[in-house]
Formats: sequence, structure tokens, C-alpha cells
Amino acid sequence: MGPTEDARPVVRLRNIHKSFGANHVLKGIDLTVGQGQHVVIFGPSGSGKSTLLRTTNLLETPDSGSVWFDGKEYGPGIEGEDLPRGKARLLRQQIGMVFQQFNLFPHITALDNVALALRRVKKMKQADAELQAARYLARVGLLDKVAAYPAQLSGGQQQRVAIARSLVMEPKVMLFDEPTSALDPELVGEVLAVMRNLAESGMTMVVVTHEMGFAREAGDLNIFMDEGVVVETGGRELYDDAREPRTRAFFEAIL
Amino acid sequence: MFDFGVRILAQARFRPEFIWENRDVFLSGVRLTVFIAIVAFALATVFGLAVALLRMSKNRLVAPLMAAYINIFRAIPLLVFVVFVYYGIAIQFDVRISAIQAGILVLTLQYSAWLGEIFRGGIQAVSDGQTQAALSVGMSRPQTFFRVVLPQAIRIVIPPTGNMFIGMIKDSSLVFIIGVPELFRVSSVMANRTFRYFEVYLGAVLFYLILTTAAYFGVKYLEKRFALVDVLTTKVRSPLARRRGIRLRMLQEAVAAEREAESSRTATAI
Repeated sequence: MGPTEDARPVVRLRNIHKSFGANHVLKGIDLTVGQGQHVVIFGPSGSGKSTLLRTTNLLETPDSGSVWFDGKEYGPGIEGEDLPRGKARLLRQQIGMVFQQFNLFPHITALDNVALALRRVKKMKQADAELQAARYLARVGLLDKVAAYPAQLSGGQQQRVAIARSLVMEPKVMLFDEPTSALDPELVGEVLAVMRNLAESGMTMVVVTHEMGFAREAGDLNIFMDEGVVVETGGRELYDDAREPRTRAFFEAIL
Repeated sequence: MFDFGVRILAQARFRPEFIWENRDVFLSGVRLTVFIAIVAFALATVFGLAVALLRMSKNRLVAPLMAAYINIFRAIPLLVFVVFVYYGIAIQFDVRISAIQAGILVLTLQYSAWLGEIFRGGIQAVSDGQTQAALSVGMSRPQTFFRVVLPQAIRIVIPPTGNMFIGMIKDSSLVFIIGVPELFRVSSVMANRTFRYFEVYLGAVLFYLILTTAAYFGVKYLEKRFALVDVLTTKVRSPLARRRGIRLRMLQEAVAAEREAESSRTATAI
């Protein structure tokens, strides 16, 4: 399922910097994600991996740096360059995101969670939006839960609804921010199964995860981050054959 | 001997029917009380939401200004405020304003401050993750606020807001001091004319009780109305919910059939 080396780029991050107060979280990150590529980002907590993911769809605005997507530049940009900037909202409509805490809308049903953006962003009619939403709920195996509210669903089911909510917008890239970290161990499998299916279907994915089994299996491009910088990147061999001592130390600590 | 007059009054026979005989006077007061409470509360709800939003503004001027507004208007006793506006400001600056308008104005100003704080609490109780999720699917900031944050905040603020409405009904009696003929004013005028103090004020108490009890049940109804009900697994009584259940079931069947057809098509292809 891996793409070729020269896959057409979909997203390119250039020289991304981000600070929270005195805390310099991202120190000039560059990253290119190719069409159909499955990027796995891992590293110790506080290394900036979630922030990096969140700058990709500009949920977090970088202090400087540029996000290139589908021929347009987004974000604050790079000093000295004078390229036209796209609107963050346009970028987010084409990039899906799945959160650690699911963040389903608790006041509406599973179906309405998935249909909301179809109606409000794509301006679809209610009947059409609901049919499309039901199809995507079926895809994640939750057609029987259309009328359920998030509080009635297990964590795994909630996360699958959240994935459907993103997928229904037909994004070109899916971002996953530790999608299984908040789940009970017995519920991790069902979410990973949905992600595996998605990966096999050719979706471009960027995943921040601690699930090393999944990372090994799905990651075409694996990125180890620490203290706001990319320490090491590599293909599948990275997991058995890391060059950087910091990467090796991390593997030893978690395995 | 010097309490002679008082004894006579105290010995007057209790005539509960007095309340019924003067129901029209009471009801005219009730009507005005309800009018003032509803109008002032509706205005205070709108302004309160504005106060809450401005209070959360990132603007360095607006947010402290709203904090000051809230602190000042919460701190002035309502009775003093009413008198100050109607006899103080209105006369000094020659503002033509009726007593009813002045009363509504004062109640609105003060209740906007209270409601503003309640609404701010409700809005801030909705987790930031909700906003992020809505933005992440491409919704705009206003859509995110009105479709995702506000509906959740409303559910949170219904009980405290209901309490405020009951408070408004009671506080509206304070505008009696500037001569607004609401329930308490018409009662006290009647009492002074007829000397039937016990019957009159008992009547006033009963009418206030009826109004606040009605408001209480109204709040209960709203809470129920906004409760989340799964129309497929719960026995639903409302025809609207039942129709929704039927629609969802049809939707499920349609999608299931679609998937069935698709999987058999791929099977034949193989």
C-alpha cells in the first residue's frame, strides 16, 4: 500500500515556527506529504508533534512558516516571500482531523454530527446530507447508531463517528492526533481497523500515535520529533534500524 | 388605650371573598407585572448575550468596560436605581420617560449584568475541543458559535436563567415606588383605601405565588424540551419525534440495501 518515492506532494510545510509564551514548541519544521502517503509522527510528550499536526490545518496558527496545499500557500508565510495567502477555512474544508478526545458534538445525534458540515459548509439539502452521512456511518460500521447521542456510545464508537464526520467532507488528507490514546485498551482495535481500511483505500494520512504496531505496519514515512525539531525520518526500516541515539533511546523507553 | 385603632382593625372579620370581589383590580396589576417581567427579561436576554460576548472579547478596551458594567449594575440596589433613574436622571436632564419605561429600563440594565455572567459561564463551560472540531470540518466562526457552542451553552444555562426569570417577576414589584400600577402597587393602593390589609396582601402574595409557580413549570418544560432523546431506542410520544424515527429507519434500510447491492456486485465481478 505504500506509494512510490516520487509521489505527488499534497501538503508541504516549510520552516514552521511556533511558540507558546517563552516555550518554543516548533523550531523550523519542514515536511512534505505525498499523495497516498502514510506519515507517522512519534516522539516524547511535549516534543511538538500534536502542535505540528494542528498547524497543518491551521487550527494552530504558526508564528511564521508556510503551509502549501493543492497549489496554494496558507498561514503567515516566510519572510522575504510575497505569495498570496489562502483562507484557513478553505484549507480546513479539505483536510480532515480526528482528535484524541473525539470532540463529537454532544447535543446532536451521531447522524447530525456527520451531516452538520455537509449542510452548513457544503450547503447540501437535509435529505441529501443525511443520506450521505448515513453512508459514512455505515462505512465505519455504525449504521445502527444514527439516532444515538454521543453520550450513549462507547469511546471506540465515538471515535469512529468522529472519523466519519471528517471523511464525509471528502478531504484530501486526514490528520489523526493520538486517535486511540483516550480509549480503553479493548476499544483500540476497532478504531485501528477503520484507520487500516482507510490507509488501504489510498487516503493520505498523517498520524500522531503511540501505537507502534500500527505505525510499523502503516507508516511509509516515519518521523521522530523531540524538543520541537525533527530528529530523524525514515521508511519502515526506522523502527529496527534507527541511527540517532535519541530515537533509539525513545524506542527502548517505550518497548 | 393608645392602640385603640389598631385593635379595631385587627378585630375586623377575615373576609376571604374580598379577594375574589376585587379580582379585576388584582388582575390589572398581574397583567402589568407580567408585561414588565417579560419585556424586561426578553431585552435583558438579548443584552445579556451581548454583554457575555463582549466580556469575552480579546479587545483590551471592551472586556474591562463590560466587566465594569457588570460590577456597577449588580452593585446598585434595584429600588435605589429605579428612584435614581426616574426622579434623579429623568428630571435633571429633562428626559421624557414614563414610569413603566423607566422601570423596564432599570430592570433590563440590571438583569443584563446578571444574565451576562450566567451566559458567559455557560459559553465557557463548552469545551474548546468543540470549537476546534467544528473549525476542523471547515465551519466558519459564526457557524461554530451558533450551531455548536450556543446550543450546548443554552442547555447549561436554562436552570439558572429560569431562576433569574422568577427573580424578575418578584423584582418587578420594586417599580411600585415610582407609581407603576403593577400588582404590588395596585394592592397597596387598594389596602390603603379599604383598610383590608390582610385580605389585600394575602391576595397579592397568592398572585405572586401563582406567577412564580407558572414560571417554574415553564422552566421545567424547557428543560424537558431541550433534553436529548434517542428516537430509535426510546418510546417517544411526540408525533414529531415519531416521524423522525420512521425517517431514520427508512434511511438505515436504504443505506443497508445500497451496501448489499454493492457487495453482491463486487462478488459477481470476482
